[in-house]
Amino acid sequence: MRKKSQSLLGMAFFGPALVLLTIFLFLPMILTLIFSFTDFFALNPSLTHFVGLDNFLQIFQDEEFRKAFINTVCFVIIIVPLQGLGSLGLALLINKVTHCKKYFKVAFFLPVVMSLAVVSTLWMQIYSPEGIINSILENLGISAQPFINSSSQALPSIAIMSAWQGVGYQMIIFLGGLQAINPALYEAADMDHATPWQKFKDITLPELKPLCIFVFITITIGAFRMLVQPMVMTGGGPSHSTYTMVYDIYETGTVNWEIGLASTMAIVFAIFVMILTVIQTIATRDKEGKDVDKKAEKK
Amino acid sequence: MRRLPFAMLVSMLLAGLLTGCQGKKPDPGDIAGYDEGEQYLSIWVHSIEDTDEGRCYRKSVEAFNEKYNGTYFADIEFIPRNDSGGGYSDKINASVMSGDLPDVLTVDGPNIAAYASNGIIQPLAELTEEEKGIYLESIIEQGTYQEKLYALGAMESSVGLYYNKDILKEAGVEIPDADHPWTYSKFLGVLEKVKPVVEKRKGYALDMTFPVGESTIYYYAPFFWANGGDLVDDSGLNVDRVFNAKENVETIGYFKKLLEKGYMSKVPVENLFESGRAAFKFDGAWEVNTVYNSYPELNLGVAPYVVGDQWDGGRYTPTGSWAYAASAKTENIKGATELVKWMSGVESGTMLWEEAKCFPSTYRAFESIDIFQKDENYRALYSQLSDYGHPRPKTPVYPQVSTSFQQVMENCVLTGEDPEKELDKAIEKINAKLKRYKKG
Repeated sequence: MRKKSQSLLGMAFFGPALVLLTIFLFLPMILTLIFSFTDFFALNPSLTHFVGLDNFLQIFQDEEFRKAFINTVCFVIIIVPLQGLGSLGLALLINKVTHCKKYFKVAFFLPVVMSLAVVSTLWMQIYSPEGIINSILENLGISAQPFINSSSQALPSIAIMSAWQGVGYQMIIFLGGLQAINPALYEAADMDHATPWQKFKDITLPELKPLCIFVFITITIGAFRMLVQPMVMTGGGPSHSTYTMVYDIYETGTVNWEIGLASTMAIVFAIFVMILTVIQTIATRDKEGKDVDKKAEKK
Repeated sequence: MRRLPFAMLVSMLLAGLLTGCQGKKPDPGDIAGYDEGEQYLSIWVHSIEDTDEGRCYRKSVEAFNEKYNGTYFADIEFIPRNDSGGGYSDKINASVMSGDLPDVLTVDGPNIAAYASNGIIQPLAELTEEEKGIYLESIIEQGTYQEKLYALGAMESSVGLYYNKDILKEAGVEIPDADHPWTYSKFLGVLEKVKPVVEKRKGYALDMTFPVGESTIYYYAPFFWANGGDLVDDSGLNVDRVFNAKENVETIGYFKKLLEKGYMSKVPVENLFESGRAAFKFDGAWEVNTVYNSYPELNLGVAPYVVGDQWDGGRYTPTGSWAYAASAKTENIKGATELVKWMSGVESGTMLWEEAKCFPSTYRAFESIDIFQKDENYRALYSQLSDYGHPRPKTPVYPQVSTSFQQVMENCVLTGEDPEKELDKAIEKINAKLKRYKKG
């Protein structure tokens, strides 16, 4: 009797969330999958037909989608090490700092709570031909750079800005991890006259490994979803150099009203991110396994 | 190919949820002012209420309800629209699916053809010649698709070729009158004359870019029209040998020359014109108000838009803005047309100018506003609109045409790609979108 009432109570708490999740998450996901095989056009949904794999063939032949895909991958390749290692570096530095620790924590975390649109607008000024960076370069005798106005510099410029904006979040996570490491490990290392690099390599990094997996996966997924920065700063240009997959999905679905095609892109995108995340997880897990085995052998 | 009854049903259900399930019409008495015997008309606008523009729409609807008390009752709903056009259009798309469209809705001018060909809006009830005659020709042109009038402009807009009077005076350049604009070759001569003056100011002759978005086609398509070219044919369904016509290749070549000769910067320089370092700038009509309020030291003038050397005197200058249309769902087309006429009429247009500085859509509104008679810059923009206004391409695939146009300009002018190749590539993309409309 008590079990039944507890189960009902559980359902009462869980039910509303389940209903909302079903309506706003699961059903749209299922519909996206169904629509990816159709020519669903938002302005005339009554003429929707099954088109089989046509949409999939179309998007892989589409030059813009291919370009968006390459841009997204390039962005991920730039930002993941930049933001991941940057946050780890900042966390290590702040962990060492004895004065104004709180100030540095807040200062580096502040951009995270700012709206991406605001940060993007701010950096547009910083990157502008007469902005602060070009003024500094000019004073150093270096010619002005076009940054977001150049097809070769726009993507790295956006990646640097994005890393600056997001680095504080991962820094806080790493900082938490660093503070949780048992100080006795470092004391023991000191007794063995270990160098700082050895301490970092053999204590800090292994202890932070689970956090590293989490941080790198979240940065990767976040980077794949990049939309606001190019939308505000470059409109996907110049010459489509900052046009990302999510931007393409958005434009196809809402500007050109091709919901069927946009759904296909979304499915391809989701599958790609899932595969990558699984690979990343397995690769890191294997290493962890090997580490455990090695440790066991040593013992 | 099979239809999708289940998926459509579920998506309609979701669309219903997202649009707030507004299918049910209110009964008289449910809303203050809606009385027995009045015909209910719902209207959606692309704005939030708490803005100058939104307040104007509210006031216009209230004035309509007062004037037609006992006959019609209009109920306005404000739907915010973000900069990239989402929000409002998302709501319309969801409502198309759920069948909950209002009687009257606002539509962005270039989208009228798409909405009309997909049965979202229907032709307005017959307007007399006198009724039509109050609107600028560009408004009637914009609202007409395949010879049927679908929409009337809530407002109108234009783009000016602004110039810095001091720079031109120093360079010894005279401005031509609106009926004899500079031709391409003459304008090159003018730019050559002003170049040394602006170089002294560390600037450029032209403050000009090809930004992603609507501005590029809006600002620079007139160069194509005024050179005997076009972007789509009259049916709106064909771009072959139109978008890639030799006249268009020539026009792109002209823009390339502007960059090659150093008359414009390859990268946008912020406030180049406003800071007095550029002789000319193409920008929306709002620029006059911006300069008057924020850069009063700038001696601003409006010159006629430049034309091709073989210009035949036809219409070519930029126009187009939001318009009112009757949805296909309305069963009261007469009432909806009355509401459209009222909302786009002289009083509403005058109020929109006074409160939000949006250009009106009727001749009488322009004539009743002092500034369009007294201020030479506003007068020039009005005369450009009324005498030479040309709507943007009327095609159901307008978003693709606009995007392709921008890409062609950017790739050819700024990156140096071959115009013919780029135009052909653009045609392929536009044709892929047009397939849907050519099936039947």
